[in-house]
Amino acid sequence: MSQSVERQFAVADSIDAALSARRSGAAVLAGGTWMMRDPRRGHDLPDAVVVLSGLSGMTDIAIDPDEVVVGASVTHEALADALRGSAGFEGVVVAAEGAANPAIRRVATVGGNLCTPDFSAADLVPAFLAYGAMVELATPERTLILNMAEFLKQRRELLRTAILTRIHLRRDVAASAHARLPLRKAGDYPVAIVSVAVDGEGAIRIAVGSVEEQARRWTSLENALTRLPGLPASPERAAELAREHMDFSGRDGVEAEGWYRCQVLPALVRRAFACLPKLETRA
Amino acid sequence: MSVTFRLNGQTTRFHDDPMTPLIDVLRREKFLTGAKPVCREGFCGACTVQVDGEAQMACLKPMGLLDGREVTTIEGLGNGREPLHPLQVAFAAADVVQCGMCFPGMVMALSAFVRDHPEADRTAIKTAMVGNICRCTGYERIIDAVVDHLKDGAAPKAELADV
Repeated sequence: MSQSVERQFAVADSIDAALSARRSGAAVLAGGTWMMRDPRRGHDLPDAVVVLSGLSGMTDIAIDPDEVVVGASVTHEALADALRGSAGFEGVVVAAEGAANPAIRRVATVGGNLCTPDFSAADLVPAFLAYGAMVELATPERTLILNMAEFLKQRRELLRTAILTRIHLRRDVAASAHARLPLRKAGDYPVAIVSVAVDGEGAIRIAVGSVEEQARRWTSLENALTRLPGLPASPERAAELAREHMDFSGRDGVEAEGWYRCQVLPALVRRAFACLPKLETRA
Repeated sequence: MSVTFRLNGQTTRFHDDPMTPLIDVLRREKFLTGAKPVCREGFCGACTVQVDGEAQMACLKPMGLLDGREVTTIEGLGNGREPLHPLQVAFAAADVVQCGMCFPGMVMALSAFVRDHPEADRTAIKTAMVGNICRCTGYERIIDAVVDHLKDGAAPKAELADV
C-alpha cells in the first residue's frame, strides 16, 4: 500500500521547527485537500511533509474592533461561521462557505488556499485581495507582513522558505460581495470569480480569480467605477463598464476555455454588485 | 510512522506510509468496504466517513492526520445486526436507495447534518448534500426522507432493525 514507508511526516511543535523542516525540503501539509490529489495530477506525494495545525494560534480567529486576525490553519467552515453576520465581511463569508463542498470546507484551510499557487480557482484569494487583507509570514529571519498583491507576486519564491501564519483583515471595509460561477464539469470549482469590496471612504476594490493563472485586481474597472458619481454603480452599469474594460486573458482548461471565463465576467460583476449591501453614504 | 486512532469505537493502529489515504486503509486493511473510492478528488462524496463526528472525505484524509482521532464508517453507524441509525430507518422506509453506490457517503454526511441541524429545512438539506453525488439522481426522494425524518423527530432505533 505504501509509496514510501520512509516518508517523513513531522507535526511541528514550534514555528522554528516548522521553518527548519521547510528548509529541509518538507512540504507544508494543511487540510490535505490539494496535496492528496497529487497522484491524480500525475505527481508523486512529497517525500517529507510538516503539519502546522498543532502550533499555538494557528486555528484561532481573533475578532477585535479594528481588526480580525485569522490563523492559517483555520478551516473555511470555521472562517465562515466566525464572520457570518459581521458587516463588511459578506464577500469573505460567501467565499468561505461557497468553496468546494461541505466536507472539503471542514478540512481545507485558509493557509492552504492561499499557499497553493497552482490552484487558480481558490475562492479566498480574490476575496482577500478585494478585501485588502494583509498576510503574515514567518521567515527564518523575521516576521513579514505583506499586502495580498505583493504576496501573490512573490508567492512561489517566498514560500520556499517562509510559512504563512496569519491573515489580517482590518475592519474598514463597509461592504463586500463575492460572485462565482461553478460548473459541474469543473468539479466544485468556479470557472470565474469576482470579489468586490467597498471601504468606508467609498473606494472600490475588485478582484478576479480563476480566469487567469493567478487572481488579480481589476484596476481598470475600479478606476472607471470610481469616476462615477454617487454610491457604487448599479449592477447593470457596473456590468457595462466591465465589458468596456475587459483586459483579461482567460486560461484554457479542461473545465472551461479562456474566452468563456472572460465572457462571463460582466455577468459576475453584475451579480456581485447586486449582492453588495446598501451603503448609507459615500465620502 | 505509527498512527493510533479509534475506528468504529475500537482502538486501532496503523504502521505504514502516513500519506496513505484513509479510504485505502479502510477498504484494503480493515475490509470495511462501505465507503467507496470513486473520484478520489473530494468531489463525489462516496467515501464520506465521520472524523470526530464530522463528515469528511476519506480519499483526501492522510493517515498521518488521524492520530488520536475517532473515525466512524457506515459499518460503525449500523452494521445490520444492531438497530439502524434512525436516518437509515427513514431511508429504508421511504425506499430511497437505488444503486447504492453513493449511499454510505450520503448516510454519513446526512446523519451528521441532521444531528447538528434538527430544524433544517429543504434548502438547508440540499446545501448539506452538494458534496454527495448520486448518479441515479435520486435526490428528491432522499431529501423527502430527510425532511420526514426531521419532522417525525428521531424514529425508534429498532423499528427496522431487520431491514
